[in-house]
Amino acid sequence: MVKEFNILITGVGGQGVILMSELLGKAAVADGLRVRGSEILGMAVRGGSVTSSIRLGDEVYGPLIPMGKCHTLIGMEPSEALRNIAYLSKSSLVIINTAVTIPFTVSVGESKYPSLEEILGKLSQASDRTIQLDAAQLAEQAGNLLTTNIVMLGALFGTELLPIKMATIKETIQAHFPAKVAPVNTKAFDLGYEACQQVLK
Amino acid sequence: MKELTVSSDAPGERLFVLGNEAIARGAIEAGVQVAAAYPGTPSSEILETLAGVAKEFDMYVEWSVNEKVAFEVALAASICGVRAMASMKHVGVNVAHDPLMTASYIGAKGGLVLVSADDPWAWSSQNEQDNRYIALQGYIPVLEPSSVQEAKDMMADAFKLSEEFRHLFMLRSVTRIGHARGDIVLGEISPERRKGQFTKDRSWLVYTPREARKNKPLMLERFEAIKKAANTLVYNQLKFADGAKLGIIACGLSYSYTLEAVKWLGIEDKVSILKIGTPHPLPEELVIRLLNSVGEILVVEELDPFVELQVKAIAGEHNIPVKIHGKNLVPRIGELSTRKVTEAIAKLTGSKSPVDFAKLDKLEQETAPLLPWRPPALCPGCPHRASHYAIRIASRRVARDYGKEVEPIYPGDIGCYTLAYNPPQEAVDTCICMGGSFGIANGLAHVVDAPIVAHLGDSTFFHAGIPPLINAVYNKANITMVILDNSATAMTGFQPHPGTGYTATGDETVQLKPEDIARACGVKFVEVVDPFDLKKATETIEKAIRFPGPAVIVSRRLCTIIEQREKRKRKEEVIPYRVDQDKCSPKCNACVSLLGCPAIIKQGVKTVVDSSLCTGCGVCAQVCPYKAIVQE
Repeated sequence: MVKEFNILITGVGGQGVILMSELLGKAAVADGLRVRGSEILGMAVRGGSVTSSIRLGDEVYGPLIPMGKCHTLIGMEPSEALRNIAYLSKSSLVIINTAVTIPFTVSVGESKYPSLEEILGKLSQASDRTIQLDAAQLAEQAGNLLTTNIVMLGALFGTELLPIKMATIKETIQAHFPAKVAPVNTKAFDLGYEACQQVLK
Repeated sequence: MKELTVSSDAPGERLFVLGNEAIARGAIEAGVQVAAAYPGTPSSEILETLAGVAKEFDMYVEWSVNEKVAFEVALAASICGVRAMASMKHVGVNVAHDPLMTASYIGAKGGLVLVSADDPWAWSSQNEQDNRYIALQGYIPVLEPSSVQEAKDMMADAFKLSEEFRHLFMLRSVTRIGHARGDIVLGEISPERRKGQFTKDRSWLVYTPREARKNKPLMLERFEAIKKAANTLVYNQLKFADGAKLGIIACGLSYSYTLEAVKWLGIEDKVSILKIGTPHPLPEELVIRLLNSVGEILVVEELDPFVELQVKAIAGEHNIPVKIHGKNLVPRIGELSTRKVTEAIAKLTGSKSPVDFAKLDKLEQETAPLLPWRPPALCPGCPHRASHYAIRIASRRVARDYGKEVEPIYPGDIGCYTLAYNPPQEAVDTCICMGGSFGIANGLAHVVDAPIVAHLGDSTFFHAGIPPLINAVYNKANITMVILDNSATAMTGFQPHPGTGYTATGDETVQLKPEDIARACGVKFVEVVDPFDLKKATETIEKAIRFPGPAVIVSRRLCTIIEQREKRKRKEEVIPYRVDQDKCSPKCNACVSLLGCPAIIKQGVKTVVDSSLCTGCGVCAQVCPYKAIVQE
């Protein structure tokens, strides 16, 4: 029995954060787990910050992950991972896509974008374990930049911490995408999985 | 094996869904035959889901022109004995308020359910009003789910209850129900389909003062019966803990936070909990039993002290000596969370939270200065960006003639274009309610001396923009009304409306044009412009502002998201622009500071176009004084 496993996915509108939660949720239900979750989109998805909670287990009731209770945090974008630092605890695992998305407020000079070192340095104050990968590059290697989210999903499974079976998530991915693009996504998943395993070795 | 969906006839199977899909599923299980709505976050997916399966279930589903009409459509179906529903966001219920207040006098023949999707923390709304008060005012019983599963179950039951008590019911959802996700167990789908029948009977259908007076006592009798039944309804549950000193009354979603909080604090066996699924009417007997069993009560509910005040009244009426806490410990503003509920309970019980929140708050505060601000922005290629640019240039030109210090005023409205309140557009001076831009402009015209240029979207125009437009003509308000026509209800997910030429279920229909309506309403200056032709658009808008009397501009360009989708379907290539660095002046920055397009980014002093984001709209090329932005 899974009591509580909390996954927080953070990113920018348009990066496919919601799709990741849908795939995770579907796969979890197929494996007989209870699932709760919700997303925070701000006023719209138009390029703003997005976070999505996926909570698995029998002792989960609320739809959002409480502060300090995240088991795994996925940062589809480095500064968005940092924005959610308060959800981490020492034992949380953070997986970060190192490809940055600069908001327009930086271009118009209204805010600054921190360096990757600053981001990782700050995150290390909250959690002991951070895995970095260039998911965007792996997605291109898989054949489509739009599969960055699936690369990250693969990396999440590469941690081998999830209570969802590999076969189930792979079937869910296969079933979700039209036959024409399913192989690209499966490849993206595998690349993410392997990249994470490499780091953990 | 066929994949399970919200329309699957598979009782007992589990399905992972969005809360709003669960609500739609509940309606499907109840055999709803008529569903009407106007889009609004966080409610839109309910009707979208039903529209997708309407033909399969022989259901009539429509996007109505506004919430008032949506509710009237459902009410009419109920009067004819057919199960019907209307769904809308919390502020949408304000628009439907007029018929709603008489609906409880009418009662229901076919099960009638209003879904009110409230938005604590106003994630995508202009306020965080608590619609349980609207229900109170209208004698409308409220079902308030604690989870996605319960949202489905309550919705299905609401139709049955409505018929059993011959009364309208409200399902009150909130953002964290409608936009939550979870697994639900599917129930049976009712195969019953009824034929609507209208029987003339003025005694309950024609509301002259005589019928109002005659029907009010009958309505009160029905409500009294519902109040009694609330005590035994499965959605209200009282769980005693032996020797408990503290009793918690938790309403709707707050019950989920409460369960998690008492588990965290390790006091599951030490508190009695009353779960409230019907905040109105409250299960009074259950409340009294709890009040009599403990010394202290904590009422946990989001937003206003709706249950709390009722509980205090009950304690007073029955002389029960119990200390009742609520909004003194549980915030009145925003969404609740496991943390907030934990902190409230910890204060009362002297127990300690397992998480050191103060430390996490400190970490968050320390991190904040490092973070870039990432507000939602108008999309690259959004026609509103160009329209706002043209409106600003034209308005400023005219404002100069009014005097040196005069600034044009831009009353704004509800839609994607509200995002133009951000820099660099800063072209939204008011944003209050649907259609409010034109209404506020009407008032401004009679008290200030400045160019007044109001704007709203096409869907908003049909929803609430026409009466203030007529008002401007009738009362001679010298204003310019711009309809930003992107042929979509874009903010909520591109739902069709009367200007699109097709219905909720994809059938072709008459396509109404805002310019025809404006002309028919007596506006003497009506012009249609293409916002991507900046020069012409600006000149025409300037003429409109200078026109003595009300003027209308329709700024028409398809929403870029739809445009891009259609281009992909047609396999049409997008040709992005790029910055010719030889021509670009590093000191200029006009494109960045005037447009704020997410596709134009600074790399040090260099300005570049992100070709993966650029849609090839060419607006930046028209703005660049050095002609340095060129198509690839």
